[in-house]
Amino acid sequence: MSLAMEKKLDHLHWPLVLCTIVICTLGVWNLASATKSALNPMWIAQSKWMFLGAVAVGAFLFLDYRFLSTAAWPGYFAALALLAGVAFKGKKVLGARRWLQVGPMQLQPSEFVKLALIVVLARYFSKDDVSARKGQYGLVDLWQPFVLVLIPVALVMKQPDLGTALVTFAIAMTMIVFAKVNWQSLTALFAGGIASSLFAWQRLLKPYQKSRILTFLDPQAYAKGAGYHAIQSVIAVGSGQWSGKGWGEGTQNQLSFLPEQHTDFIFSVWAEEHGFLGGVLLVSLYGFLVLTALDVASNARDKFGSFLAIGIAALFFWHAFINIGMVTGMLPVVGVPLPLFSYGGSSVLADLLGVGILLNVSLRRFMF
Amino acid sequence: MPSMLGLVRRDADEIRELRPRNALGALVVVCAMLVLIVRLYQLQILRGDEYSAQSVSNFRKSLFVPADRGMIKDRNGHTLVDNRPSFDVFLTPAFCPPQAKGDARDKGGTRDEVMAKLATYLAMTPDDIDRMKQDYQRSWTSRDKLEKFKPYLVELDIPRDQVDVLEAHRSELSCVDLIPTPHRNYRVGPSLGHVLGYMSEVTPEELDDKPDEYRRGQTIGRRGLERRWERELRGTDGRENIAVNARGQHLGKDMDELLIPENERFVAATPGNNLVLSLDERLQEAADAAFPGRAGAVLVMEAKTGFILAMLSRPSFDPNKMSGRITRAELQKVNEDPLKPMLNRVMNENYHPGSTFKAVTSLAALEENEITPSSTLFCTGGYTMGNHRWRCDKPQGHGALTLKSALQVSCDAFYYALGDRVGLDALSGMAHRLGYGQPTGLDLGREIPGIIPDSKSISPATGSVRSHAINAAIGQGEVNVTPLQQAVAYASIANGGNVWIPQIVRRIETPEGKVVREFQPDPDVNNGRQGKLDVKPQSLAAVREGLVAVVNEPGGTGYRSRLADVVFAGKTGTAQVMKLGQKQKLDPATQAYLSRDHAWFVAFAPADDPEIVVVVLNEHGGWGAEAAAPSASKVVRAYFELKKRDAVAMKAGL
Repeated sequence: MSLAMEKKLDHLHWPLVLCTIVICTLGVWNLASATKSALNPMWIAQSKWMFLGAVAVGAFLFLDYRFLSTAAWPGYFAALALLAGVAFKGKKVLGARRWLQVGPMQLQPSEFVKLALIVVLARYFSKDDVSARKGQYGLVDLWQPFVLVLIPVALVMKQPDLGTALVTFAIAMTMIVFAKVNWQSLTALFAGGIASSLFAWQRLLKPYQKSRILTFLDPQAYAKGAGYHAIQSVIAVGSGQWSGKGWGEGTQNQLSFLPEQHTDFIFSVWAEEHGFLGGVLLVSLYGFLVLTALDVASNARDKFGSFLAIGIAALFFWHAFINIGMVTGMLPVVGVPLPLFSYGGSSVLADLLGVGILLNVSLRRFMF
Repeated sequence: MPSMLGLVRRDADEIRELRPRNALGALVVVCAMLVLIVRLYQLQILRGDEYSAQSVSNFRKSLFVPADRGMIKDRNGHTLVDNRPSFDVFLTPAFCPPQAKGDARDKGGTRDEVMAKLATYLAMTPDDIDRMKQDYQRSWTSRDKLEKFKPYLVELDIPRDQVDVLEAHRSELSCVDLIPTPHRNYRVGPSLGHVLGYMSEVTPEELDDKPDEYRRGQTIGRRGLERRWERELRGTDGRENIAVNARGQHLGKDMDELLIPENERFVAATPGNNLVLSLDERLQEAADAAFPGRAGAVLVMEAKTGFILAMLSRPSFDPNKMSGRITRAELQKVNEDPLKPMLNRVMNENYHPGSTFKAVTSLAALEENEITPSSTLFCTGGYTMGNHRWRCDKPQGHGALTLKSALQVSCDAFYYALGDRVGLDALSGMAHRLGYGQPTGLDLGREIPGIIPDSKSISPATGSVRSHAINAAIGQGEVNVTPLQQAVAYASIANGGNVWIPQIVRRIETPEGKVVREFQPDPDVNNGRQGKLDVKPQSLAAVREGLVAVVNEPGGTGYRSRLADVVFAGKTGTAQVMKLGQKQKLDPATQAYLSRDHAWFVAFAPADDPEIVVVVLNEHGGWGAEAAAPSASKVVRAYFELKKRDAVAMKAGL
């Protein structure tokens, strides 16, 4: 092993690697319980995807993350093309077109769009000369990033996938807020957000999306309709009590009372079987992941790396927060996967690549 | 690379400037994670017990184990009503929704698939299919969200071959349950319909009333003993808890054992108690066979206790039919029958007693000292008061009559005179003492009081008090009585003045035969008389003498119905029916039938030490002597033949 290699391994963010491995391991273990009665053991497929992701991350670490800056625009447009492809040629599952058949695999391009968007926004904010704008962004200065965000968000909404659209938008908004926006603009953005959500309610949302939100506001009234998921999920979580019912022993999970238990409601399975202690552990792991990402951002070598890390922090934060908030009945049921826990190859791959970006940025923090 | 270095330097500065925002971001993240943890604490720790219970009730399905309903037996232990095994079909709407849920694993089928299959497998009539659909709709659209999880009854008591078909297709009908339910088996025909009653499904109102006791689709006693003794007969249902998945499918015995504590898995049912009646099934059959009419009543009661031995109201209904799968058309036919089969004529219909009431008038006159047993009155073929003349049956007149001979030939003129002398209020008073004009108290549901007019109750427009008394004296006018009241009144004349509340249940026993409650003769303590008629023994003796003459002396109206072996007493009655108005459009035959007189005969036997009272009412039967007395005579004979046979059997047994 060369000295350079050894030095690099020294600089690798080992706590982050460890945290990721722990989350992945628990995720696979939990998935095995969630799909115990299913014919095809999904945890094996999930492990394969994770292995693939780990290999991709390993390869990616040999490259300087700055090449992403060059690849930002091609990557962005490629992701948009895939999304457009989904909109017209996608595989329809449960009334939504979200998947694209690529050889033997089904890809969910919306997962990769988040990464592409993070990269392209990071590039935009790192190249842009803020000092030319009095050191702060006004509302008018932000029209370019907004266009960059709204195109993919609109395409995702069309699938329709409200959850992913919201998360994508939230990630982009987080990056914009971190990029020194002045307070007047922030206020205006907030007001605009409310106005546009009202508009969305009136014109854009599908009836099932509306009913999910209504259900969230009053789940009991929709107990056996749309609110069924929310109620059963809360029952699953609550019945876990201190230490849970034990792996494979969750009745809500095993007896199919929990809907979508291997994807959106995977946290309920975890909380039912491992209780409050397991729940706190997992929440802490995600917290650690996000805080580490912010730390990487603060210590990055350049603005590009810093914004990349902030974007990834936002990615993990919003996914984890919205997902757990949703399955514990604090937020409406919008389909958002829990990073590295929910079943899904595209999402696992995208999340691991996100971790790869963090590792890469942190690895090269001292390089000039 | 100086330019590069410059760029990096500026970057480093700007990143440093970004740090406060990153720190703020970290704070937000920590807070957000704390919010999640607090939420978990709230759900899992603070409300964990509640959600635990909910997760348990999710997979726990409670099947009820119906209790065996108590049997009803006659006085000799002969079973009148018991239960036979059968299966009922129930459907739970929640498990077969109107539209498929899009869940590939959901093999329960949709509403339409399941209903089409049920209709075929059960060979359902269009009526039944309609009802099944309506019940489904009601349950599905109910405001109560849990309503659709409650199974409702689709078909009652299906035949064995259909049970096999349903069992074979069980997997595609996961929302259909086959519940083994013991069904009521009435072993005697319609003759005991009114006494026993029948069973039918509980109504939603009754369910609201007693939500803990009844489940939808269960049956409840209607009419008669089934209704009156519902509480004793019903018992307490048991429970079996099983584990099901979200689609309501049973997970098997292993999962039951894993998920449900043993003491909750099976709670045995407590069977209901048995009723032992005072009724004698053989005498009931004899009474049914002896009664010739289309409509009417026969009642046999123990004269010394008030216990009923036989009770017939005709026309009647078949309790098996009423309790089972009766079609709407059949039910409508029963309800529209002009002869009203559902009416219990023994206690829920009024009739003029006609001449049978002369015993009452006689007692009143003797007690008021208007006559003595030996005094005579002269019948000229009628009785005149003011400008109105009441005619006697025998236009040429009966001549001089004592009380005994007046009863024997049933002379109306004698009683017109007696009624006029005694007065309406004295007549009314005596009638009330004998139990007329008020419910007798038989514990078998609703009972009408009958009508006994007095000077306060009549309206002057219908005639003077005197004319009312004259009409009442022969059981016409406004006097209305039930066959049950006749039995009570004649029993008290026969037994020396004890007024009994009639009873039909002798005792209540546990299924093992242990006596829970034994019923004793129950004196009617109304009017503060402690069950006593409170008249002179001589008066009773005089009336009894007349009633014996009716049957046993030539010229008596019941002479042709006398028996060789047994001396019994009685009184004929022929009650005029009120003329029908033109309101009802009836065919001439029915019109003719409905305008015929009611025939009565009330008897007690043996005359010297009466054991039983027999009341026969033959609605529109004509003359009491022809249409009622012979059947009463047959019933009396049957009673003594049975008694003799029992005595022989007893001796043989010893």
